[in-house]
Amino acid sequence: MVTLNVNGVRHDVEAPDDTPLLYVLRNDLQLIGPQFGCGLAQCGACSVLVEGKEVRSCITPVASVANQEITTLEGLPARWAKQESLSVEEAKNTLHPVQQAWIEEQTPQCGFCQNGMMIKATELLESNPNPTLAQIKDAFTNSGPSPNLCRCGTYVAIIEAVQHAATIMAKGR
Amino acid sequence: MATMSERPQNVLAPTLSRRQFIKAGGILVVGFSVAGPELLKADTAKPAVLKNSLDPTLGSSWIEVHPDSTILIRTGKNDFGQGSTFTAYRQIVADELSVPFEAITTVVQGHTDQTPDGSGAFDFLGGGTPNIRKAAAYTYQALLDLASEKLGVPKAKLSVKDGIVSGNGKSISYGDLVKNQQLKLTIPVKGDLTSIIGLTVEGNPPMKPVSEYTVIGKSFKNSVISSKVAAKETWATDVRLPGMLHARVVHPKTLGSTLVSAGSVDKSKFPHSQVIVKGNLVGVIAPTEWEAILAAEQVASATKWTEWKGLPGNAKLYQHLRDEADWKTTPVTKGEANKGDAASTLASAHKKLSATYQLAYMKHAPIGPTMAVADVKADGTVHIYTHNQNPQELRGEIAMMLRTTPDHVIVHAYPGPGHYGRSNGGNAGAEDEAVLLSQAVGKPVRVQWMRADDMRWSTQSPAAFSDVQLAIDEKGKIAAYQIDHYMPAMQDDRLIGAVLAGLPTMPAPNPKGDFISSTANGISDPWVYAPVPNVIERGHGTFQVGQQASPLAVGLRDHSMRTPGQFQQNYPRELAISEAATLAGADALQFRIDHATEERVIGVLKAVRDASGWDTRPSPRPDAVSTGSTPIRGRGVSLMFRNQTYWACVCQIAVTPDKGTIMVEKSTIAVDPGIVINPMQLKRNVEGGAVMGISHALFEEMLFDESGITTDDWISYPIPSMADIGEIKVVLLNNPKVGTYGGGSEAPNALAASAIAAALHDATGKVMRRLPMKPPYVQALLKT
Repeated sequence: MVTLNVNGVRHDVEAPDDTPLLYVLRNDLQLIGPQFGCGLAQCGACSVLVEGKEVRSCITPVASVANQEITTLEGLPARWAKQESLSVEEAKNTLHPVQQAWIEEQTPQCGFCQNGMMIKATELLESNPNPTLAQIKDAFTNSGPSPNLCRCGTYVAIIEAVQHAATIMAKGR
Repeated sequence: MATMSERPQNVLAPTLSRRQFIKAGGILVVGFSVAGPELLKADTAKPAVLKNSLDPTLGSSWIEVHPDSTILIRTGKNDFGQGSTFTAYRQIVADELSVPFEAITTVVQGHTDQTPDGSGAFDFLGGGTPNIRKAAAYTYQALLDLASEKLGVPKAKLSVKDGIVSGNGKSISYGDLVKNQQLKLTIPVKGDLTSIIGLTVEGNPPMKPVSEYTVIGKSFKNSVISSKVAAKETWATDVRLPGMLHARVVHPKTLGSTLVSAGSVDKSKFPHSQVIVKGNLVGVIAPTEWEAILAAEQVASATKWTEWKGLPGNAKLYQHLRDEADWKTTPVTKGEANKGDAASTLASAHKKLSATYQLAYMKHAPIGPTMAVADVKADGTVHIYTHNQNPQELRGEIAMMLRTTPDHVIVHAYPGPGHYGRSNGGNAGAEDEAVLLSQAVGKPVRVQWMRADDMRWSTQSPAAFSDVQLAIDEKGKIAAYQIDHYMPAMQDDRLIGAVLAGLPTMPAPNPKGDFISSTANGISDPWVYAPVPNVIERGHGTFQVGQQASPLAVGLRDHSMRTPGQFQQNYPRELAISEAATLAGADALQFRIDHATEERVIGVLKAVRDASGWDTRPSPRPDAVSTGSTPIRGRGVSLMFRNQTYWACVCQIAVTPDKGTIMVEKSTIAVDPGIVINPMQLKRNVEGGAVMGISHALFEEMLFDESGITTDDWISYPIPSMADIGEIKVVLLNNPKVGTYGGGSEAPNALAASAIAAALHDATGKVMRRLPMKPPYVQALLKT
């Protein structure tokens, strides 16, 4: 039995301790934001935030993140609502600025990697609200276990969406 | 210039029938007709009507007009990230029907039991007239007929705006026209639903003149992006059925190994797992995904296969293709532009280029490995939940494998990672394996390939080489151009699970195959340099490498990949044209303009010249250097015509000679598709294609030894990271006078390689005639 704290909700999960977090999120908790891309921490499609840091859930044993604060793509709106102290009613209709920007900029093509891209963007903007182009490129290339890879080649659209999200976040709620 | 409204009209008598008046609701559905095949051309086959397809005698439909004036559209084409079904298709239908974009509230796509026409996730715009456009045009005429009757106003006096039909001071909405009635419009179609191109809507209904478009041309948002970003979309990876089991497949040790003995499960560790063996197909099934993964690893280590070493290995690939492959059995194809007498002109050339260009095998490498859920019911009905570029063709192939008919197979289509052509013949990889395992255990089974399965056991974009001979005359013009393209067969649609299990499949590529399974290498790069007097283009085809030697008949299976075949032919042509400009002492971009007459060719070249800041001069640059640690800059250009769209690309690069590294600092692409339907969507497609093009040019090379594929993850098969990408500039040339819209998703990935190679030559004075231009290869070249 492992106790997980995902998107502000406690879950007691029956899974062997070495089960990668990804399979528990997808198969046991029906949290389908993170995707299986490589199982090798080489692409970033499976990323989640653990205590605010991007982590590759495909190689993270579930027991190693017991009782830590885990945020998936599904939890980004509530994460923003909490940070901005939005009312319940406001929160219901508000996506995280990163998600808003991803839609405004029409960033995804197939979209399969974009979970990890949005998680990485959130991690970046929470620590650096106004990143330069070089800092954005560095974050998506060098800050994780591997670069966050996009096979459709949406890097330009991701950069524009990160910059757009930064302006939304600067304005606040 | 002709516009669509001036095209010949041949309506082929669509019929509108009124079933009954009903008390509430009401609908106009547009189905397809098999009632009037005598109206079709004599060679038109009557489309088969299958159970579990949309029944053309009932409410089978392309388009539904509802009493609240909302509209639903259906298409067999399944989105793979291009966005066309959610943006362009809505815009096309909205303009044909004269309704706002927002009126089209629902797009149903891909599911074989809910969509009418089949075909694949390619050529969405159908040469300017996709099926959905004609279906909408027929629907518009039917709505005008209804309104004419209802309002008592002649059809010619009616006009429509925002779904309101008006004439002689009276008006009525589409919703009110269909209210309380069940109306069915039948339209003529032809074709084979489960073929790669599916059904085609026949006839030439009158279409909206381009000058009256109000929805086309605007950047409406793609609705599926919103649901994916918010984690609200159900992907194929998310499908979970009651009682579903997880499976992994233990694929053979090599691309020619047969099974000696399957390992058994260590029940002390994996008490709930089981092994299923069918011929050479070994599957491991467990109730949980993690147990399936671990049990499959354990079973794999205990499974014995025969050894096989029947491949040349990548180091000998081009020697094998040149000297050992059989190019004689497959007929040589000839280009449509062939003319004059290139041979004698080349024999007496003032200046001459003779060169060979080589392209590596590449993987489609979707960011998520292939997966599928299959549920084979006790009555033999097969449900497949998957992400596939051609669900109807998959349906036919699964039926063939099971020796049944397609009506027993339903393919449910969901979003997934881009395949870039790999599954457009129906074969993504895991579907057939899932079906066989589900059949064996009588329960739904989910097969997920791991990254290494996806790299080693999927198809690839074929390697190729081309021999070019080119003559320059005393005036610096191309006097003769001769190219011989060599490429193994490109479209192996066989289901790999069926091959391994020894079950029926489509034929392996062969010289007598139809246009899909043939080993023939067609000329697929339209000639754009009209003034060249002597031209010979020839295509040479052969079997896939290892296909005949492999006891499994597998070898290196190939499949079309974004800009298929044309990339393999355009890269050598465009690099050779840049080299020809150097021979002629001319600027490579102006040289192209000087060899063109088509104004759209000249238009994209001038646009890309202006937008990129191109400096007009011959290559190489006067101070070109091929040594040292200081980056030196160069620029190159390329040109392509594909799917009625003209493309030009300039790449500006920095080369560091001693490291052999190339950074593309700026890519500029000018695109003239005729009418731009959705500028934002097109821009994003082109940007993505440009990045993939840099990837093809600099990074991608599938490597293999004598037994199989050795590049099996993102380390051994790298693609660019964000830091590897410089500025991407897209210039959209909206050209409404063309009167139609060309494709925008293919081509941009095939433009960079030849432009970067030309830029490398510009910077260093050395020509690299091989892809990819990886640092070790560039270093070796620069040392020569």
